[in-house]
Amino acid sequence: MLPIESIRRVLDAGLTKGADLAEVYLENKESLSLILDEGRLEKATQGNDIGGGVRVFYGNNAAYAYTDDLTEASLLEAAGVAAAAAENANNAQVCADLTKRESPVVSQIERPFEEMSTQDKAAILRQMDEVTRGHSPHIVSVQCGYTETRRRVWVYNSEGVWAEDDRAFIEFQGQVAAQKGEVRQSSATGVGGQVGLEFFDDRDPVAMMPEAADTALLMLDARPAPAGEMPVVITNGWGGVLFHEACGHCMEADFITKGASAYTGLVGEKVGPDFLTAYDDGTIPGQRGTMRFDDEGAPTNRTVLIENGILKEYMWDLTEARRAGRASTGNGRRQTFRDMPMPRMTNTYIDAGPHDPEEIIGSVKKGLYAKKLGGGQVEIGRGDYVFTVTEGWLIEDGKLTAPVRGATLVGNGPETLRLIDMIGTDMSLDPGRGMCGKGQWARVSVGQPTVRVPKLTVGGTE
Amino acid sequence: MDYLEFAEDVVSRAVERGVEAEAYISVGQNTSVNVDRGEVEKLSQAGSKGLGVRVIRDGKMGYSYTSDFGAGSIEKTIESAVTLAEVADGDAYRSLPAPQPLLEEDLDIFDQAVVDLPIGRKVEMARRIEKAALRFDERVVLTNRCTLMSQYGTVAIANSKGVAGSYDKSFIGGFVMAMAADENDRSMAFGFDFGSRLADFKPTEIGKDAARKAVGMLGGRPVPTQRASVVYSPMAATSILGALSRSLGADAMQRNRSFLEGKIGEAVAADRVSVLDNGRLPGGIATRPFDDEGVPTAATRLIDEGVLQTALHDHYTATRDGTASSTGNANRRGHASMPTLDASNFYFQPGQETPEEVIGGVEQGLYVESVMNTASINPISGDYSISAKGYWIENGELSHPVNEVTIALPMQDLLHNVKAVGNDLTFVPMMGALGSPTIRVDGVMIGGSG
Repeated sequence: MLPIESIRRVLDAGLTKGADLAEVYLENKESLSLILDEGRLEKATQGNDIGGGVRVFYGNNAAYAYTDDLTEASLLEAAGVAAAAAENANNAQVCADLTKRESPVVSQIERPFEEMSTQDKAAILRQMDEVTRGHSPHIVSVQCGYTETRRRVWVYNSEGVWAEDDRAFIEFQGQVAAQKGEVRQSSATGVGGQVGLEFFDDRDPVAMMPEAADTALLMLDARPAPAGEMPVVITNGWGGVLFHEACGHCMEADFITKGASAYTGLVGEKVGPDFLTAYDDGTIPGQRGTMRFDDEGAPTNRTVLIENGILKEYMWDLTEARRAGRASTGNGRRQTFRDMPMPRMTNTYIDAGPHDPEEIIGSVKKGLYAKKLGGGQVEIGRGDYVFTVTEGWLIEDGKLTAPVRGATLVGNGPETLRLIDMIGTDMSLDPGRGMCGKGQWARVSVGQPTVRVPKLTVGGTE
Repeated sequence: MDYLEFAEDVVSRAVERGVEAEAYISVGQNTSVNVDRGEVEKLSQAGSKGLGVRVIRDGKMGYSYTSDFGAGSIEKTIESAVTLAEVADGDAYRSLPAPQPLLEEDLDIFDQAVVDLPIGRKVEMARRIEKAALRFDERVVLTNRCTLMSQYGTVAIANSKGVAGSYDKSFIGGFVMAMAADENDRSMAFGFDFGSRLADFKPTEIGKDAARKAVGMLGGRPVPTQRASVVYSPMAATSILGALSRSLGADAMQRNRSFLEGKIGEAVAADRVSVLDNGRLPGGIATRPFDDEGVPTAATRLIDEGVLQTALHDHYTATRDGTASSTGNANRRGHASMPTLDASNFYFQPGQETPEEVIGGVEQGLYVESVMNTASINPISGDYSISAKGYWIENGELSHPVNEVTIALPMQDLLHNVKAVGNDLTFVPMMGALGSPTIRVDGVMIGGSG
C-alpha cells in the first residue's frame, strides 16, 4: 500500500491535538458478481473499492475521517479532521515503532480467482440452472448467483500495531420457486467460504440445487404450521443461527459495557445446561468469519463464551476493551473503510453435546422439527428473538410425520438457552452463507449440533 | 467539477467501443455523530464518490464501478464493463431508456441549511435526542447508538440515447435506542426521524418516541394463542407494505415470483385499500426528479379500492411488457449496484377515521406497535409470519403490554381482511420510504402462550 514512512506521518498527524491513540486503516476490495436468471446470464458486475481512514481516540471517545483517495496528502487531511475532535485532550503521545505482526492463522489462498475464466464461472451457474429446471415440471423460477470478493486490509496504530490481512471469499446462491395451481412456494440455498478456487476441490454448488428445489416442492403440499407453545428440535449446522441471534448478539461488548444487554454482569453465572459449551472462533481455516487479524489489527481468538453452562467471556473490540481497561478478543470488524469498527461475531457455535440426534427427535411426542431455517433478528436489550423456519416438520410420537410451512419461532434468548435440555453429538458449521446485519454487514459462520428446546412459541396460522 | 459533464464524457468514451453506455455518478458528504451520556462517543466525517458504468451490446449487459476518478481507472472500468457484457447472454428487451422531458417543479429534496449546518450544531442535536429520551421517564436508564446523520450530494446520470440529468439531495436523520428498566423487566425501543429539510427535523421527538415505547413495553407478556383482530401502528404496517412492494414489481410478476402474478384487474384487497407509489412526493425520502436510469419519476396508483391496476416498472420490465411504460422505479444502492426495480414513496392511502377510532372499534384484539423479522415475509408465496410487540385491546382501549408473540396470515387473506384504515399516514424510511396510517386487519393468527 503506502510506504511505512507515510503511515508514520499520518499517525503523528492524528496525535497532534493531544489524542492518546491514532489508527490508520486501509482497504482494497475487488469483487465480481454474476447473476443467472431465467436461464440467462443477466447481470455481470465487477468493481473495486479502495479507501482508508484515520481514527483518533481520546479517552473513551473516538473520531474518524475517511477518504477514497489513497494518497498521503488525503490521509493527512483525514488525520487533521479526526484530530480536531480531540482538541480538548492533553496527552502528549508519540507514535511507537511500527512492527509488522505475524499471525498463526492460516488463510493462504491456494488458487487465485484469476485462474478461472468468467465464462467458466458462468458455466457453473448454467449447470445449476439446468439441473434445477430438469428436476420437476413444477419449478417455475430459478435464480443463481456467484460472487467472489477479495478484501485486503492494512491496519496501523500509534502503539506500534502493523497488521495485514488478505481475505478471499467465494459464494454461490440459488433461489427456486415452485408452483401448483395458485400455490407458490420458494426456497433459497447457498454455499461458500473464505477460499480460493480450491473451493471446487471438495464442494459442488450444483449439488445443492436439487435439494433446494425439493424444499420448494415439499412446501407446495405442506400444511400450514401450527401456532402456540410446543417442543422444538432445531437442526444442526445452520440451526446455529438461533444461538447467534438469541444469545451471541447479547454477548457483544458494546451492549455489555453500557449495561444494555441481558447478559451484562453475568460472567461466572450459570446461563445454560451443564452440557452446553459455546465458542466464537475467528481462527478456523476457511470459514467466513475467519480473520488473521481483525479490522483493528488485533489477532483473532478462539473465545470460550460459555463453558459447561457458565458464561465465561464476551466479544470485545478495541473501543469497548479500552473502556473496560482490558484487551480486545479480536472481534473488531467493519463493513468498509467508511464505517467505524464495532464488536461483531466471527464463527460462533454451540459445541457437541451428549445426545444422539435421532433420540432427540424420538423424544418428542408432539412438536416441531426445524429442518431448514431462514434469517432471524434480536432485540438485544431484553434478548427477544425471532427466526423463520423455511422447512418445518411436525413431530408426532417421535417421528417426522408431515411438512409444515410458514412457521416462525419466537422467544427470549437467555430463557431459551436455559431451557435447552438436549444437545446432539452432531455439531457442524453452516455451509458458508451467513451474513449478519448490525447496522453494518459482516460475513459470519454459525454452527451447532441438533438441539431440543422443550417449550418454544411457534407462529403458524393454524 | 461538473459531474454531469463528467458522466457524459465517460459515456462518449464507452461508445467508442461500439456499445450503448450509461454513466451514473454519486458524490456526497457524510457526517455521523454518536453520543453517550452527553459525550461525543463516535464522530465520523468524510466525502465519498463513485462511478458506475453500464454497457449493453446486442442485448448483453455488463456493469463495472470505481471510486477512483483518475483517467486510467475510468478506462479500466469501461473496459471491464465491456468485457463482462461479452460474457453475458443477450436479451431482446434489454436497452437503455431514451430521454423524456423532465418536469420543472420543486420536489423539495435539497436544503442548503443541511449543507451549512456546522458540526457543533450536529453534536448538539444528537445530545438533544438523548436528553429527550432520558428525561422522558425515570425508568429510561440509558440510550444506545444515539446518532445524528447528515448527508448531501449530487447524482448525475447520462446515457448514449441522450439522457442527461443531475440533481442535489440532502438528508438529515437521527435515531436512538432507549432502554427502560424496572425491578422486574427491561425493554428496549427504537426511535427515529429522517427527512430532507432541517426545519422539519425534530430531534427531541426521536428521543421521546423511543422512551415512550420502551417504558410502555415494561411488564409485557404473551397472550394466549388465538385468532383475533390486529390493529397495526403505521410503523408495524410497513411490514405488509415492504413485501407488497416486492410482489407488485413487474420483475417479480414477469418471472413467476409474485403471489399477485396474473391478478391485474382483479380485486386483491378489501375495497377500502388503495396503494400508491409516488416518486415525486414533495420532500419525500425517496423523492427525486428521475430514477436511477434517468426516467422521470411518477405517481402510480397500484391498487385502487381493492383492485390491482398495474405493477411497478423500470425500463426493462416496461419494454418486456410491451404495453406498459416505466413508472420511474429503477433504483440503486449506490454506484456499486446496477439499477434494480424498487418502490419509491410507497403507501396505503389514508382513510377518514382517527387512530383512536380504529382502536375503539375493536372489542378484543392486539395493537401492534413494532415488529421484527419482516425480511422473512415471502413475496412469492405470500407467507407472512413475524414477531410483534404492542398492547392488548380490551373494549376499544389499550390495556397491558404484549411481547413474545407472532402474528401470521397469508398476505392474500391479510389484504382482504383490512377492516379499517386510519387518517394518520406516516412515512417510515425503510426500503425506500414506506407509509401507512393505522390499519385494522381481522382474523390474524396470534401465536403466544399455550
